[in-house]
Amino acid sequence: MKARILVVDDDEALAEMIGIVLRNDGFDPVFCADGGQALDVFRSSKPDLVLLDLMLPGSDGIEVCRQIRGESDVPIVMLTAKSDTSDVVRGLESGADDYVPKPFKPAELVARVRARLRPGEQKAPETLRIADVTIDVAGHMVTRGGERISLTPLEFDLLVALARKPWQVFTRELLLEQVWGYRHAADTRLVNVHVQRLRSKIERDPEAPEVVLTVRGVGYKAGS
Amino acid sequence: MVSVTKRDPESPSGKTGSGTTLPDAVPAEQPVPSSQEPDQEQGRPAEKHGSGRPLTARRIMLLGRIWTRRALILGLRITRLVVTALQHLRPGLRYLWKSLLRRWRRSLELRTVMMTILLSVISFAVVGAYLSNQIANNLFQERLTQAESESRYYVKQVQDTFDGAQVNDQSSVITLVYDTLNTVEGNGSVIQRRYVFEALPEQNKPRNRWVESRASDQLTVRVIPPELRKSVQESGKEQYWASTEFPVGNQDHPGIAVGNKVTFNGTVYELYLLYDLENAQQTLDQIQNVLWAGGAALIIMIGGIAWYVTRNVVSPVSHAAVVSEKLAAGQLQERMVVKGEDEVARLGASFNHMAASLQEQITQLATLSQMQQRFVSDVSHELRTPLTTVRMAAEVLFDARDSFDPINRRSAELLYNQVERFQSLLSDLLEISRFDAGAAVLEAEPQDIFQLIGQVIEGAAPVAAEYGSEVRLTSRNKSIIVEMDSRRIDRILRNLLLNAVEHGEGKPVHVTVAANHDAVAVSVRDHGIGMTPAEAARVFDRFWRADPARARTTGGSGLGLSIAAEDTKLHNGWLQAWGQKGAGSNFRLTLPLKKGGTIVKSPLHLEPHDLRLPGTAPEQRVLVVDTQERQPRLAQAPSSDTSGRTDYGGAPGAGEAGRA
Repeated sequence: MKARILVVDDDEALAEMIGIVLRNDGFDPVFCADGGQALDVFRSSKPDLVLLDLMLPGSDGIEVCRQIRGESDVPIVMLTAKSDTSDVVRGLESGADDYVPKPFKPAELVARVRARLRPGEQKAPETLRIADVTIDVAGHMVTRGGERISLTPLEFDLLVALARKPWQVFTRELLLEQVWGYRHAADTRLVNVHVQRLRSKIERDPEAPEVVLTVRGVGYKAGS
Repeated sequence: MVSVTKRDPESPSGKTGSGTTLPDAVPAEQPVPSSQEPDQEQGRPAEKHGSGRPLTARRIMLLGRIWTRRALILGLRITRLVVTALQHLRPGLRYLWKSLLRRWRRSLELRTVMMTILLSVISFAVVGAYLSNQIANNLFQERLTQAESESRYYVKQVQDTFDGAQVNDQSSVITLVYDTLNTVEGNGSVIQRRYVFEALPEQNKPRNRWVESRASDQLTVRVIPPELRKSVQESGKEQYWASTEFPVGNQDHPGIAVGNKVTFNGTVYELYLLYDLENAQQTLDQIQNVLWAGGAALIIMIGGIAWYVTRNVVSPVSHAAVVSEKLAAGQLQERMVVKGEDEVARLGASFNHMAASLQEQITQLATLSQMQQRFVSDVSHELRTPLTTVRMAAEVLFDARDSFDPINRRSAELLYNQVERFQSLLSDLLEISRFDAGAAVLEAEPQDIFQLIGQVIEGAAPVAAEYGSEVRLTSRNKSIIVEMDSRRIDRILRNLLLNAVEHGEGKPVHVTVAANHDAVAVSVRDHGIGMTPAEAARVFDRFWRADPARARTTGGSGLGLSIAAEDTKLHNGWLQAWGQKGAGSNFRLTLPLKKGGTIVKSPLHLEPHDLRLPGTAPEQRVLVVDTQERQPRLAQAPSSDTSGRTDYGGAPGAGEAGRA
């Protein structure tokens, strides 16, 4: 089955070009040129992944991202021309899993898409614990005291990566490789923003984290 | 009131109305303090004498010794207490003193008021002393003149009375003398002048000399200063005077004694008339009191006035200081309050004018900067979107080039390569314009710089392999945590390393890392073609290329080192270049360990050590280019060669000097 990808971009030439590339790599692209209709198209097409341009007429890409994230955990990859820190961070904070800065290479885009679409390889039943949080890896479920905590797939992957090796300190680069699938050094802000998002969901007090600990000057590790 | 001297054997009591005479029984009791209660005065000593004198004396001595010791102990204790208290209070006192000193240094108001008060006190003291001295002098002179003329008159009267007296028997002589002398005291209830009448010593005592001495109540000849007596005794008929003090009632009053000689029955007497200056003294005291009070009131008033005036002048100034501090801190809407039309108001008005124009310009600049930022951001987006499409299309064509005919294939390749180049140029341009607009933000986080260097070296490995260069990392440290924006530092180091590899002509590239307690330095050294001083001076300039013909093949936008320099500046760091033609070049990046820290000294040398080894290029002049100071400075590299020459140059010169 071909994975369906919703491309939300107002630039028709670019959207078409992205379509050509995606089709070439065996995906099924759906297009939407207007931010105001993006949510409707998303609901009707039920894509496996959303490629979202941050600057859209009608509705801000960040707003669209928030709306989609409000009702679905589907992976969102931003296409951004603004590589300024504040814009990238704003996009990530509104719920995007990853971003591809323009101008990008076709291979780069496809790699990002594939990394987010990684078929959930059949995981062995496995239960992990960090602090007072229980992770059911196969069931894709995180609970604290019997209460379910809702995480996006990316946040789940991030938590599992940390929980599997509680003795190891993960550098941001290592996390980028393991969770996001980057081979080469990429923007470590991805890690920072997602760790903050993860903390806001699973920590009792995000200001004094117990589950995901910061190791100053190195990276992150799981709490005991 | 009359007291009789001890030598007067027959005390003629009842001569004066209220007078009481002392009995002969107490000749030893010298000055009689008060004649009001003579019986009591007289009784007490008698009792003491009766109760055994030696015992009392011993007891008094014992008591005295005990009390002395007690006083000593008490004194010691009090001293110790004061010393301990001072020791405990010393920090507090020191703090008080320091804060007072600080206040003194920092408050113009306090200083002015204190100086005014001090100067007024000094001037009042001078003027007051002068005034009081003048008044005292005048009062005294007036009394003295009066006293002298009166004395002359009364002495003459006394002498006349004595000369015309026809008395021979003892009682009438005594009566005459006493009556005559009593008239000198003046009539009425107030004594106008007192007298001391004493026979001149060392003269033959005539048979009929019944009067030795006589004085007004409470007085003896002791109140007369010896100098005056001497002058009177040694002189002829002149009149002398002196200041003295004599008892009146319970007090000693100041007075003037005027001395003369009178003769009676062939005996020469000294006659001193004493004038009480107590009234004058009281007047003077009152005047002085008035002066004191007036001075104190004036000083307080002057202090108040000085405080008020200073405050009026200083408060606008300190207000201006406060306002300008706020302005400097960015509160641009802050203004001074302007009242009236005086100089201070003018200061306020011009200050406000300045603040307004500053605010306007700053706002304008801020708006411009914002517009620039917006523009850069918009252009970035507008350019990037079509570029992305073009790039993707170019890549699709490039990937499919094998199925094209040769002409189309080459075109696809050219398109692909030039789009790449166009893209890197565009991104560098946008980066530079972001720096120019002041939109670049430092996102510093503590990170191990070795981790970053490892990545950079790894990233540059394919290029290094292509050029056949080996990249060697040298450091004594294993890990150095630096607060830095890793994206920017990564960009700087990658740029330096790729440059070194590209210009290294296949020779090894050395990366050296070192740290001191406030900075870390990374130097990238190649042994390639190197740079001339002129080239090294321009290496951080935008679009500058050492060799235009060469650069076309190597690629790059020509902005790499400019961006690196800007990135370094953002970190408050140093980026410096050293070069020598044929000996390679060295780039040194120095960063403060803490964000916002300052670098005192870089842990690494800019000029490489290996240059000093023998066999290197003979040219020893090197150019040091510093991004901090754009002015290139020429440094003389120390070498064994030149120092040897210096020795040679010195020796013959000294020899010649010796011969001459």
